[in-house]
Amino acid sequence: MSKELIRLTDCVMQFDDDIVLDHLNLYINDQEFLTLLGPSGCGKTTTLRIIGGFQKPTSGTIYFDGQEMNDVPPHMRKINTVFQRYALFPHLDVYENIAFGLRLKKTFSEEEIAKEVTEMLELVSLRGFESRKVNSLSGGQQQRVAIARALINRPQVLLLDEPLGALDLRLRKDMQNELKRIQQQLGITFIYVTHDQEEALAMSDTVVVMDQGRIQQIGTPEDIYNEPKNAFVADFIGESNILDGTMIEDYAVEFFGRRFKCVDKGFAPRESVDVVIRPEDIDIVDPSEGHLSGTVTSVTFKGVHYDIIVDFKGFKWLIQTTDFYPVDAIIGIRLNPEDIHIMKKSAYSGAFGDYSSYSAEYDEISDPEEPSEDDADEE
Amino acid sequence: MRRTLKLCTILTFAFLYIPILVLVVASFNAGHDIAQFQGFTLYNYGELFEDKFLLLLLRNSFIMAIVSAVLATAIGTLAAIGIQAMAPRVRSAVMSVTNIPLTNPDIVTGVSLALLFSFVGLLLKRQDAMLGFATLLIAHVTFNLPYVILSVLPKLRQMDPSLRDAALDLGCRPYQAFFKVTIFEILPGIISGFIMAFTMSLDDFVISYFVYGPKFITLPVEIYTQTKKPLHPKIYALFTLMFFAMLLLMIIMNLLQSRDEKRRRNRIFPLGAR
Repeated sequence: MSKELIRLTDCVMQFDDDIVLDHLNLYINDQEFLTLLGPSGCGKTTTLRIIGGFQKPTSGTIYFDGQEMNDVPPHMRKINTVFQRYALFPHLDVYENIAFGLRLKKTFSEEEIAKEVTEMLELVSLRGFESRKVNSLSGGQQQRVAIARALINRPQVLLLDEPLGALDLRLRKDMQNELKRIQQQLGITFIYVTHDQEEALAMSDTVVVMDQGRIQQIGTPEDIYNEPKNAFVADFIGESNILDGTMIEDYAVEFFGRRFKCVDKGFAPRESVDVVIRPEDIDIVDPSEGHLSGTVTSVTFKGVHYDIIVDFKGFKWLIQTTDFYPVDAIIGIRLNPEDIHIMKKSAYSGAFGDYSSYSAEYDEISDPEEPSEDDADEE
Repeated sequence: MRRTLKLCTILTFAFLYIPILVLVVASFNAGHDIAQFQGFTLYNYGELFEDKFLLLLLRNSFIMAIVSAVLATAIGTLAAIGIQAMAPRVRSAVMSVTNIPLTNPDIVTGVSLALLFSFVGLLLKRQDAMLGFATLLIAHVTFNLPYVILSVLPKLRQMDPSLRDAALDLGCRPYQAFFKVTIFEILPGIISGFIMAFTMSLDDFVISYFVYGPKFITLPVEIYTQTKKPLHPKIYALFTLMFFAMLLLMIIMNLLQSRDEKRRRNRIFPLGAR
């Protein structure tokens, strides 16, 4: 688990004046499930294409098992890819699509190929589909063929470029479990690209959050969620209230003119900081008992909980609660020290975290889907 | 309004097909006067197949059309791949250059090729022997190339670029990726380019006229020299046969295209996407 397999040092990717990757440094361990997570245009797909060998970085080096790989073409790499829109070969049936990689090697007999293909079909639960045309398969089935086709060459690393993007929610959840199972069963490295934070948290050993060609944070899903490094990560992963504060001393922070105990330390005295409070961590109490009191301005039923927006002195917070509070109700909140997370100020400070513009459609806005981009590709 | 449109359509078809109808009727006419239909006969067709010289020319024309279309298709497909791989700005510049022969008047192309060949002939000191099969072939490939490029390029553009990436990813060298994957995606374009080149070559007269030599004459060139006196009706028979052959070819091409369309539509909206 701990052996390093792939390393990118100081990788820059530039198209004309457009810097897609800005001095990226990253290492990936053997047998790791690593996810590159970020909004579209953050450089995650470019990073994947560099690892796959489809693009050469403008500068910087990529190592595989200690060997420099910049000039190694894709067909010489022990890496295979599952492409965004599957890229199955339409002139071949399911069997031949999966056998494609083995046929190229010329060292396999027809029986050996049949055995391997059958094994792969079993792995992705598609026995009996051998002679089907790939165009007659559903999205989820095409996805499975793409995975089987990529795995038959026994790669050390499997790259997956938003493989679940075109599937509906239910199928996506099933496939997440499938992929995790396949990765553990084969014991190989998965490098997974997605803009879906839930997917990233659910599947990965390590999450790499990217924006504007730079890595914002690397860590386990828990680290990324609980200890976001800056306002971008805090906002992109889950929902966050992010406010201005001042670190008075170790374990004490001031915001809204009040002093709160917290669990963070190591800041300069009176350093101004970003304070993150997750909507689900906030305890609602009677206004007289709260640290702060505010007015409910909107309520949205979400199934498991309500999303309520509460106005505290002009700054609007998102709070998730299982109890119903009507609009205009005055409520109090209590914050425990471990609910308050302190971050250093960054270029992203002030850009996120105020829910003044919150509306019921907020989720769709904050989770940009790709189809508009796909449409443009068609032309 | 609707009736006017209908009338226009009928008129268009009349303009397009009445001359051919006249030709077809004339080819079956027993008498020699085109103005009068004097009974149905296959005599002209019999005459046609008796005329060894005409058949030789027809064979020449077919050889020229096939060889030049094959060459143009091969070169044009490679060129299209090269053009597709270029940066967008360079690509549009190159495209306008390759398209010039399309709009260039045939007579200009013909004369300039003739000049080129006589210049080269002069350099090689064998001016007269220069003209013949080779020069005709070069000329035909030249004017066929843009048609092939223009029909292959859109197919390359429509192709999902990750198909090629997938082939490389699975172990193909670049040339293998072309023969194992890309070619199947652009095949309809290659076929229609080939058919277009074939028909353009088969009926070309203007350019051929300037670059042919006495050792290799094609049918259109010979017929033109015969038009100084009245045409023998067996020529009508020949043209009738050629017309129907071309019609068949066009129908095949259209069928191929509509099948390809259907395949593409299936790919964009895969069946049962649940």
